[in-house]
Amino acid sequence: MADQTFRLPDLGEGLTEAQLVAWRVEEGARVDINTPLCEVETAKAVVVIPSPWAGTIQKLHARPGESVAVGEALVTITSAEATEAEATPGTLVGYGPGAPESGIRRKARTAAASVPESGGDTRAAPFVRQLAKEKGVDLAQVMGSGPGGRITRADVEAAASAPVVASATSTAAPSTDGERRISVVGIRKAIARQMVRSVSTIPQFTEFAVFDATNLMAAREQGKASGRSMTPLPYFIAAVVKAVKAYPLMNSSWDESRDEIIVKEAINVGIAVNTSQGLLVPVLRGADQLELTAIAEKSAQLIEGARAGTLPPGQMSGGTITVTNVGASGPVETGTPIINPPECCVVAFGAIKPRPMVVGGQVVARSGAWISISVDHRIVDGALATEFLTALVSELETISA
Amino acid sequence: MAKAINLSLRDALTRDENVLIFGEDVGALGGVFRITDGLQKAFGEERVFDTPLAESSIIGVAVGLALRGFRPVPEIQFDGFIYPAFEQIVSHVAKYRNRSGISLPITIRVPFGGNIGAVEHHSESPEAYFAHTAGLKVVTPSTPGDAYALLQTAIDDPDPVIFFEPKARYYLKEEIDPSARVPIGKARVAHEGSGVSVIAYGPTVSIALQAAKTAAAEQISLEVIDLRSLSPLDMDTVMASVRKTHRAVVVHEAPVFCGFGAEVAARISHDGFDLLEAPVARIGGLNVPYPPARYEKLYLPDVDRILQAADAALAYG
Amino acid sequence: MAEVVRVVAADDPVRALFSPAGELTADARSRLGLDAAALRELYRNMVLIRRADQEALNLQRQGELGLWGQYLGQEAIHVGAMTALRTEDWVFPSYREFGMAMIRGIDPADMLTLFRGLSHGPWDPRKYHFAPLAIPVATQVPHAVGFAMGCRLKHTDEVVLSTFGDGATSEGDWHEAMNFAGVFKAPVVFLCQNNYWAISVPLSKQTAGSIAERAQGYGFPGLRIDGNDVLGVYAAVRAAAARARQGDGPYLIEAVTYRMGAHTSSDDPTRYRPDSELQAWNAKDPIARYQAWLEQQGIIDEGTVAAIADAADSAAQAMRTRLTAMPVPPPGEAMFGRVYSNPPESFLQEREEFESSLEGS
Repeated sequence: MADQTFRLPDLGEGLTEAQLVAWRVEEGARVDINTPLCEVETAKAVVVIPSPWAGTIQKLHARPGESVAVGEALVTITSAEATEAEATPGTLVGYGPGAPESGIRRKARTAAASVPESGGDTRAAPFVRQLAKEKGVDLAQVMGSGPGGRITRADVEAAASAPVVASATSTAAPSTDGERRISVVGIRKAIARQMVRSVSTIPQFTEFAVFDATNLMAAREQGKASGRSMTPLPYFIAAVVKAVKAYPLMNSSWDESRDEIIVKEAINVGIAVNTSQGLLVPVLRGADQLELTAIAEKSAQLIEGARAGTLPPGQMSGGTITVTNVGASGPVETGTPIINPPECCVVAFGAIKPRPMVVGGQVVARSGAWISISVDHRIVDGALATEFLTALVSELETISA
Repeated sequence: MAKAINLSLRDALTRDENVLIFGEDVGALGGVFRITDGLQKAFGEERVFDTPLAESSIIGVAVGLALRGFRPVPEIQFDGFIYPAFEQIVSHVAKYRNRSGISLPITIRVPFGGNIGAVEHHSESPEAYFAHTAGLKVVTPSTPGDAYALLQTAIDDPDPVIFFEPKARYYLKEEIDPSARVPIGKARVAHEGSGVSVIAYGPTVSIALQAAKTAAAEQISLEVIDLRSLSPLDMDTVMASVRKTHRAVVVHEAPVFCGFGAEVAARISHDGFDLLEAPVARIGGLNVPYPPARYEKLYLPDVDRILQAADAALAYG
Repeated sequence: MAEVVRVVAADDPVRALFSPAGELTADARSRLGLDAAALRELYRNMVLIRRADQEALNLQRQGELGLWGQYLGQEAIHVGAMTALRTEDWVFPSYREFGMAMIRGIDPADMLTLFRGLSHGPWDPRKYHFAPLAIPVATQVPHAVGFAMGCRLKHTDEVVLSTFGDGATSEGDWHEAMNFAGVFKAPVVFLCQNNYWAISVPLSKQTAGSIAERAQGYGFPGLRIDGNDVLGVYAAVRAAAARARQGDGPYLIEAVTYRMGAHTSSDDPTRYRPDSELQAWNAKDPIARYQAWLEQQGIIDEGTVAAIADAADSAAQAMRTRLTAMPVPPPGEAMFGRVYSNPPESFLQEREEFESSLEGS
């Protein structure tokens, strides 16, 4: 025994309602399949509706003269025999009761729309370029906060409010009560936006290690002796590249809109550079393809260019992992770096200096430095981060000249 | 909307004794959608009459009647049955004035569009073929009020007009003002907004308005433009909107591939290139024959798809 | 003038079977060569298809079908014509020939998926020699003629039945096809089911002339017959088909009947036709009439009539059960599967994108 409710079908190709003219049965009456139930009047005709099931009339849901919308309940019938379709039928549009329409739906709109991949160097939409032109903003100087590093209108407007050459953070407005207000524009604003985006969307954790820099320093001395003087940075970058090759997941990106992790093949190392305008991160592209000396040369060029403000957009974007320096000298050992979105990992190096280490049970003074890595916990768990950091330390400690 | 069109035809028959209404089943039956209900009874068989089953000649005969001084308002019963008349429309109705200097004040009424669970040939959207033909004007109302007013204008126009009626909206109800007039070639802003311009016509205007309502609850502001007139196309209204929003989505039931939306999108992209913060998107049917009724909701644009396109436009940068 | 005016053949084996009023002569009736079993089979088929038609209308009112166009009253034509054909003879229907399709062996539940929004073409025409439904009026008639022309070119002896209503004879396609048939001497039997109404337009408004006599203008004979006499229809189609089969060209049969139901389930005939007219034709119901004749001939009795009615009920119930249990074919296949023989890459891509946009993909 099952109660089934018969809903008013669309009786004439697109009708939305019908008026009940008269019932042909009463509540409690027994009906067979096709027993006339009622007469309804549609916009097109007066129509007799026969019963779809055999059973007893449980309830009549409308009164004569009332308007019934297509899909609204007309009559409930208690079926004589058990039926498979226990659920009351869905809205009918001439397709029969049971599963609504075809029972198949297009996926509902996703929370984050997938942004179309733009081919080529479309760093800014036409309107944004036009706006930049009008406001005299050099797009090369603007850090894009849109998807894929795209420059948005807001980025341009922010850049337009402060001249590029002068410090972007300097406009001090005088105020009362012993406080000073600094208007936030240009690069400062863009950095702020990136940092907020990073910490609010990426669940990041940090791990720390100390590496023994004895071999690195020896290699540097050897290099100096043969006329190749290099800062520790190229060695750091080369070691990071080697470690990333062993742990490619550190060189990836979390794609929220598609629930996918995008593992990048090329290793483009962003180098955090402190400039008079603020923090800039030029990108050493294809670091995995470069020899140590090439890394040294190119990274030096990038740092110089960033400080001078002469780098083109292509060298300011496309990074897949970032390295940064926490205190080249002085008492500061390490820090908790913030990931540069949409990357997975940022590696911070502390200053190389003598420090106490235990070697063979004895406390000795050795060259060493702190490394801290911050990692996207959506992509990488602690265990993997530890392995990566361990590998990185290993690379650095086994540098040969 | 059905009653609004009925009233508009009635008023046209009253105002001008040269207006004739004819087609299949428009007389005694009052039309398969009851659009011409009661008109034959009121105005007689010489003003409102049934024709034999012959679309090509319905239009061909309209040409002859127009030459003889009448103002014919023939009906093609369904969009899918306009094709036998295609020759007459494209080769003659559209080109007669160009050939002879004589205007043919013909208004061809055609129900169009799907979403009524119909069988083959009853859910087509052939408007692009006709908008693509110089010499014709092509219009489509989305509300009962516009249906009344736009039809008055179409019948009064000395040039031939194809009047596409969104049949899925025939039962849409609203108060109308019979003194209102809607000019041909003028779009309207159906809903003001600032984030994305959603450009629609005929049956998709209601859906775009629903999308705007849903979006508003998420603090997304959509502006909905009802084109009303496909040829001539009111780009001023469209561009004014895009100037405000910088992002545009075009929505129609017809397949996207070579659909009318392509003209709108190309114009926006060309005339408004420097206004755009995102590429212009088109939402519409798939590039397949209109499917059996069980699948039509998967084929036709709906609120979700409009919102998805709006999301993508807003997220572009 | 003799070169210009062609006189249609005077010897007409179809006309010879009928009275001037279009009734099968007693003599022709007695010489049909159908035994009692075959005569009962005609009756059984008419009852079967009528019961299916009624069930289909009920299913529409119950929301199981979106639309239904009844062929109520036209059973004598459906059964008579189909019985007179060979299974290799192709039929090109309009949109009301479900009775004919059933007799050809197409499962009615499959056919009804057309009105259930599941398919535009639920049977394989090549298997049943039954073309797809044609909804735009008369568009199927040139197809029939082309097919028949093909048979002639290949020297095979199938004939083609091209069937349509009175309204179709107003369409340009019909006239062009008739003319082609005459010029190419196509082996086609044109069967006009003149059921008097084209939705709300009566025959008198559809044409000022005669349908049957138009054939002469196209160079072949035409005959008007009583379409409510199953044996008359059978005899006419059999004779016309035999004539075409031996290479004598096309024939037009105008079978006069009446559309007892509405044009479709969306129609309201009370708006345009008087009830008295319907009642008058009710009295000439083809099944009642044939049943009376069979009873009078002693070929059928009460018991057989009841058994046939019961069997028709069961068949209708089986059709209902099968139809309502019909699964919905996957959308990708239903919408993209048969559009092209060699689908272009872009088409396949669009299909992929569409399928991955569906829930559960």
